[in-house]
Parts: sequence; C-alpha cells; structure tokens
Amino acid sequence: MLRSLAAKAVVPVALTVTGFVVVCCSLLYGYIRADMVSAAVRQEIGLADTIVKSTRYAMLKADRETLRQTISDIGSQRGVEHVRVFNKKGLVMFSADPREIGALVDKETEGCSECHAGETPALRLGPMEQARNFHNARGEEVLAITAPIYNEAGCAEAACHFHPEGNRVLGTLDIGLSQHDLRSNLINLQGRMVVFCAMVLVLTVGGVLALLRRNVFVPLYRLRGYARTVAGGGELPALGGAEEVEEIGGHVRDLSASLRRCQEELSAARQRVAALEKRLEE
Amino acid sequence: MGCPIGSERADLTNSAAESAGEGNERREACNLRIKGLRGRSVQGAVGLVLFALLSLLALRTETLFPVIPAGLRRLLGASPSTDLISIALVVYSFSALILILSRMMGGDLRYRGWAHLGYLGGFYLFYLYAEALRENFWAIFAAGMTIFALEYFNLWTACQDEIRREEKLLRFLTAPNEQGREGD
Repeated sequence: MLRSLAAKAVVPVALTVTGFVVVCCSLLYGYIRADMVSAAVRQEIGLADTIVKSTRYAMLKADRETLRQTISDIGSQRGVEHVRVFNKKGLVMFSADPREIGALVDKETEGCSECHAGETPALRLGPMEQARNFHNARGEEVLAITAPIYNEAGCAEAACHFHPEGNRVLGTLDIGLSQHDLRSNLINLQGRMVVFCAMVLVLTVGGVLALLRRNVFVPLYRLRGYARTVAGGGELPALGGAEEVEEIGGHVRDLSASLRRCQEELSAARQRVAALEKRLEE
Repeated sequence: MGCPIGSERADLTNSAAESAGEGNERREACNLRIKGLRGRSVQGAVGLVLFALLSLLALRTETLFPVIPAGLRRLLGASPSTDLISIALVVYSFSALILILSRMMGGDLRYRGWAHLGYLGGFYLFYLYAEALRENFWAIFAAGMTIFALEYFNLWTACQDEIRREEKLLRFLTAPNEQGREGD
C-alpha cells in the first residue's frame, strides 16, 4: 500500500505538515505556560503585598487579635493553602493553621534560603525568586510567595512597640496558593492544541487525497483500464476527461490501431509467401 | 578438410555457452544489487531507533542532572536564551524538511539521517544546559521523529522503485533461458 502512487503523494505531505505543526505547537505551549506561570507569580506577589498593606495598621497598633483574625480569614479562602507571618527570627507569629504558631523555621528552608544564602541577608528579591513551587500533602501543586515586611518610617517612630531604624526587615509573609486552576487551564490548552494538530493532519491528508484522487488518480486509473482494453485488441470510443488524459488516450488508440494494421499486413504477407512456396513445390 | 558445418556448429555452441555464462553473471549481479538495496532500505529504521534511544538518554540525563554543576557553568559560560534555541529549532526543522522533500524529487538512494542525530543531540544539549529540557523535550522529539520518518520513507520508496526495476530486469534475463529450454 505504501508503494502506491497515492501513498507516495500523501505520506510525505502529511508527515511534513503535521510534524512541523506539532513542533511549533509544542514550543508555543511552552511559551504560553511560561507566560501563565509568570502572570500567576505576579498576581500572587500583588496579593501578598495587598495583605501586608492591609494588615499594616493592625501591626502598627499592635492589634494582634485583628491580625490573627485577618490571617485566619484569608487562610479560609478557597485556593489558599497556607498563610503565615514570621518574625525576624523565623518564628511563626501568625498563621491560618493554629498548630504552626510558635514553630521555628530554618533559614535554609526553601523560601527562606533565597534571602539568607549569603552572610548578609538580601533585602530585595526578583519576582521569580520570591516564588517557589512544591506539592502539598494531597499531592497538589502549590505556588508560594515570600513577601518581606519592611520597617517603614511609621514603624520605627511608633509609641507602642518600636523597631530600630537599622532593622530593615521586620518579618516575612508567606502565602501559598493552589495551582489547581492553572494546571487545569494548561491541560485544557494542551488538549486544544492536540485537537488542532489532529485537525491539521486530517485536513492535510483529506484535502490532498481528495484533490489528487479527483484530478489525478481517477483519470489515471481510467486511462490504465482504457489502455489495457485497447492493447488487448478491444474497440473503445475516444477517452474523455482532462485534456492530458484525452491526448494520452488518443495516442494509445492510434498506436493500437497502427499495430493491428501492421499485424494484418504481416499476416496477409505470410499467407502470400505460403501460397508461393506451395506453387513452387508443385 | 574439416566439415565447415561442424565447426560452425561448434562455434555456435561455444558462443551460446559464453552467452549463458554472461547471463548467469548478470543474474547474479542483479540478485546482489537487490540484496544490497533491501539492506539499505533498513537504514531508515535504524536511524529512527537510534533517535528514540538518544531521546531516552536525554530524558535520563535530565533526571540525573537537573542542575548543571557550577564549575561546568564557569567553564562554559552562560547558556544562550531558550528563545534563541527555540527559534533555531524551528528554522532547523523547516529547512531540514524542505531539503528532504527536494531530495525526494530526485529519488536519492543515499541515507542522510546520520547528521540529524548530531544536530538533534546538540539541541538536547543546549536545552539541558539552559535547564529548559523538560519543557521543550517534546518539541525536539516531534521534530526528530518527523525528520527521521521522512528520511526513512524517502529511502524506502527509492529502494523499492530500484528493486522493482532490478526484478523486472531479472525476469527478462531469466525468461529467454526458460524459452530456450522449452524448445529443446
């Protein structure tokens, strides 16, 4: 089947077009995924900054109860895996999970090591460095953001409890959001691209096959049958169809007629020779 | 004086024997060529399998060495951006496919897939060094499978056409002998 004219015409075209489309779709998917993850990280950083700003007044007034309730309310939101506030020493001061309060986090833990890697802790991090991915106990992917709580002018001068001006970072907000929706969107995108590639394959193969069949193969097979019949001595009217097919059909008919005439003349000449030989013998 | 007819008959017999000898040699040569063509047509499948193994190796290397050692990075310098590597991959795939399609028009019997093993291996290495192999593995794999499948199909169809021609010649070389034997 692969040796047929149809296969030789269709297979390379189908392979080339579909293969190239798959390559481009794979790369495009990679770009889109990177953009979506980057957008998710920026959105989370924005959310973390919003939380820090909205709890700033409660921190300034040392209103721990309000702060505790705010953190608890944020943690109960759909999609929020964890939210906690560390102090400078890495002690969990506030958390949506009361069991974490009072726990001490190692500086080399992921999420902390980005700032504490060197002798002097870093004061600022790029957006992607603030983000980290991990899987929770349920196996779901979580994107966590570590946002520092900076010592602002109001904090250093407040009467209730003050932080020396030299303390640039007072603590850290750590918030983790489930990436379930993002992953679902990416899986949907993957599915759509697979469908697109399948459609390209079907269109390419179907389109090329249909056009070739209509314009090349059907006339070719008719011509083959015509030539076979005429070559076998059959009489057929002139072959119709495309100009090229008509021309070839005409030439085959002429050749066959010419051959038949020659065979008839040869046969007549043999008969005359046989008659002459018979007369000579007599 | 010897019988002229007898010597002529001997000459004819010798000439027939020489022709028969030549015919045998030509049939042997035909059979050898057919065998060679059948062997050559398998090269495409070998290329495909080798590329699949190369891809498995790349995945395995990526799993074993997800992060490039710092010493190696200091030695080799910064990697090119993944955007550049991706653009290079698209341009390479496009030009490779165009070249294969143009060679298909000529019925080339030479297999040129071995070079692509090197090029695609290079892409695996570049992405691995840029720590972006996992995200872009399928793009390289799809490009490689397309190129190797097309090369295989190209070589296979060209070899099949040649084998068909050789078999036709073999039938022609065999047929007169069979007719001669039937006459005897």
